[in-house]
Amino acid sequence: MPNIETLALLSIALPWIGAVVVWLVQDRKPRLQHTLAVLFALAGAVAAVAMIPRRTEVNVLDFPLGSAFGHLTFLPDGLGVFLAVIAAVIGSLAVIFSVDYMKGEKQLGRYYAYVLFFIGSMVGLVLSSNLLLVFVFWEITALCSYALISFYNDDPKAVAAGIKALIITQVGGIGLLMGALFLYAYQGNYDVPTFLAGAAKLPANVLALMAFGFLIAAAAKSAQFPFQTWLPDAMEAPTPISALIHAATMVNAGVYLLARFYPAFEAVPNWKLAVLVVGAVTALMAAVMAIVSNDLKRVLAYSTVSQLGYMFYAIGAGGVFASQFHLLSHAVFKALLFLSAGAVIHSVHTRDMREMGGLGKQMPLGKVVMIIGGLALAGIPFLNGFWSKELVLEAGHEGGPMWAWLFMLVGAGLTALYTLRFLTMVFYGEPHSGAHVHDAGPAMKTALVPLALGTLTTWLLAGQFGQFLGKALPQGHEVESTGALLMQIATAPATLLALAVVALGLAAWWQRDRLAGVAHALHGVGTMASNSFGFEAINRGVIRMTVASAASLRTIHDGVLNWTVMAILVGRVVILAILALGGA
Amino acid sequence: MMSLSLPFLAAVAVLGLLGIGLLGLLLTRNLIKVVVGIQILVKGGMIALVLAGRLSGQVQTGQALALTVIVADTIVSVVALAFAVQVRRQFGTLDLQALSTLRR
Amino acid sequence: MFDLLIVAAMLVCALQAVRGTRLLIAALWLAGASALTALMMYRLGAPEVAVIELSVGAGLVTVLFVFAINIAGEEPPVKLRSLVPAPLACIAVFCAVGLAAAMALPNLRTESVLVQADRFATVLWEQRNLDVILQVVLILGGALTVLGLLAAGPAHARKEQQ
Repeated sequence: MPNIETLALLSIALPWIGAVVVWLVQDRKPRLQHTLAVLFALAGAVAAVAMIPRRTEVNVLDFPLGSAFGHLTFLPDGLGVFLAVIAAVIGSLAVIFSVDYMKGEKQLGRYYAYVLFFIGSMVGLVLSSNLLLVFVFWEITALCSYALISFYNDDPKAVAAGIKALIITQVGGIGLLMGALFLYAYQGNYDVPTFLAGAAKLPANVLALMAFGFLIAAAAKSAQFPFQTWLPDAMEAPTPISALIHAATMVNAGVYLLARFYPAFEAVPNWKLAVLVVGAVTALMAAVMAIVSNDLKRVLAYSTVSQLGYMFYAIGAGGVFASQFHLLSHAVFKALLFLSAGAVIHSVHTRDMREMGGLGKQMPLGKVVMIIGGLALAGIPFLNGFWSKELVLEAGHEGGPMWAWLFMLVGAGLTALYTLRFLTMVFYGEPHSGAHVHDAGPAMKTALVPLALGTLTTWLLAGQFGQFLGKALPQGHEVESTGALLMQIATAPATLLALAVVALGLAAWWQRDRLAGVAHALHGVGTMASNSFGFEAINRGVIRMTVASAASLRTIHDGVLNWTVMAILVGRVVILAILALGGA
Repeated sequence: MMSLSLPFLAAVAVLGLLGIGLLGLLLTRNLIKVVVGIQILVKGGMIALVLAGRLSGQVQTGQALALTVIVADTIVSVVALAFAVQVRRQFGTLDLQALSTLRR
Repeated sequence: MFDLLIVAAMLVCALQAVRGTRLLIAALWLAGASALTALMMYRLGAPEVAVIELSVGAGLVTVLFVFAINIAGEEPPVKLRSLVPAPLACIAVFCAVGLAAAMALPNLRTESVLVQADRFATVLWEQRNLDVILQVVLILGGALTVLGLLAAGPAHARKEQQ
């Protein structure tokens, strides 16, 4: 049996090799491209899954790269392997789904190459324990995300959305790079385990700068307040991409980052509160926006933002285990929702829910799996979303302020409301399109059924999951068995209250006609929500300012070599003068 | 006389070559002359590497690095000259000022 | 005394290479400077690199220069006024070099410490093998770029004719 080093390397390298191979197979052979992509993605997933029993707590795979970059090391511990498995498995399911979804599309080579490149980089991101390497993988995932959002590059909306996502996540990348450089400056290397073990040795202000830099990075990557605007626009991507990158894996990188560095930043004053507030505000705001949107994928995008807010909230309240458990549930049921939405969109050729309706009869499988996913999202017992969301709420009740908990409760109610809304609009009511609608294709079914089964069952593994994460969890977290954990969730008074709120949300949709007065009163909020609460306007303002300042700086960038050399020379004189004076 | 020892003279040569190379880059407007300036600049760098190797007792490491610099510098010159030839063909001039399109 | 002559001649060659208006002459002065650089390296105890510098720097690059100047053709002999005023350039260079000299020369060690016993080949192939890989990549990349650049012209012209 291969050892952990080989497996870690394989799980990164196999998708990357696949990316090159699929790219080299010309677009004239689409069948071969589909097959190769599926094979390489599956091989990567097998390597990732095989890491589960062999995880360790120490660095493996040490590549020395000189003093400036430190050692390239990988740390396949519970947390890293867990996310690597999610990325590789859901990645391969998304690739399988793409076989049907992308059938007949042009430039499949480009599509699969980026998807496979992304899967490998995501696995690398969560496994590497050199902070500089983490940053490199972080940026590669952002780059792949950009390239795939803009996949339909003759559509100006897709191109604009890709650039928007790239720029906003770059802002976060700067926070991460700043943190990494601070670590190097004060610790002398980029080693993450050393940092986690001895974070207290760093000066308090430096640690605080790092902590908030990482928070910015995580918020930008996970589309949290105030960076949430890129994710809904990213829905221009092909739907398997939305499922893989913008629901199940890349957006979780932010949550991963916070969970990984939680032990180091826990003691930084106000850091936990900041994380909690970011999460709570985002969760509620995105839920409101999801209610008023009519685009199926945008609704799902807002709900992703909202659920990621729940994870941030859990980390802010100290519930790292709760956040990771919710991450697992969310990755599974949201990938399921997106892929089934993809099947729906693929057959009706529109994303506007007002033109759908009554699709339940024509798409029996699509209907069943999407309802399973939707109920998990709404937090209905006994699907995986219920358990993890209750765990998050319980963690928040214990470790966070009361007002934030109430925020999240309202959010849970709203989640139930918008879930029921989009399910009804898609599958029930009068059919609006006369076109012939077909159910999901065979490859789509192959991807949907395992995810649906996962949604029904992953909560049974709660106890093992806690054990699995092991040392990645903060000190003092007691690992409980599944039964005890589930009992604890089920019997907590908070759970009943949350369930009542969810039921209230469901009832509100049931009785929506009678609540017309309330809806009318809240019309202003709805309008604000569909304008994304003014954040788009802020984005546009920032862009306008940047462009204006760039235009005014243009005069000094005249591209004439002589003056450029002159500027370099003057800079050199200044540096030498400083050195001469300092040395004297 | 101690001040005219070999390392001292080599250091003077390094500084002199650097200065002359920079002067060339500052004053010329001809693309090919730019390559000449870079060549002179880099020759200063090569002597500096060999000198540093000698002074720190690692002559061979200094030589190895100088070799890398020679290779890199030659490649840069070759590519730059090919560029210059191509620029001359396309635009009919080698004047930097005339070629610059970023100015307003 | 011999070393002093070498350095002086090298600097004169370099200055002439930069000053001259005619490209072909400048290339020849550059070859001279290169040859003297090689001699200087030999004096410093680096014979292997000196040979390479002599053959590549003074030989190959000069040939390429002459070749390129032949194809590209001389500029019209009108002297173009430099963009950066010449006195300003001289002052800036003088400041930079003067500062560096004032800082470096007084502290310069004049005799070498223990001498590395390994042979050049051993050091290059065994300790600096990353450099060797880098050189190979550079050479390959350079060759491909030149091929691409020189091929672009005719292909482009052909397309326009069609």
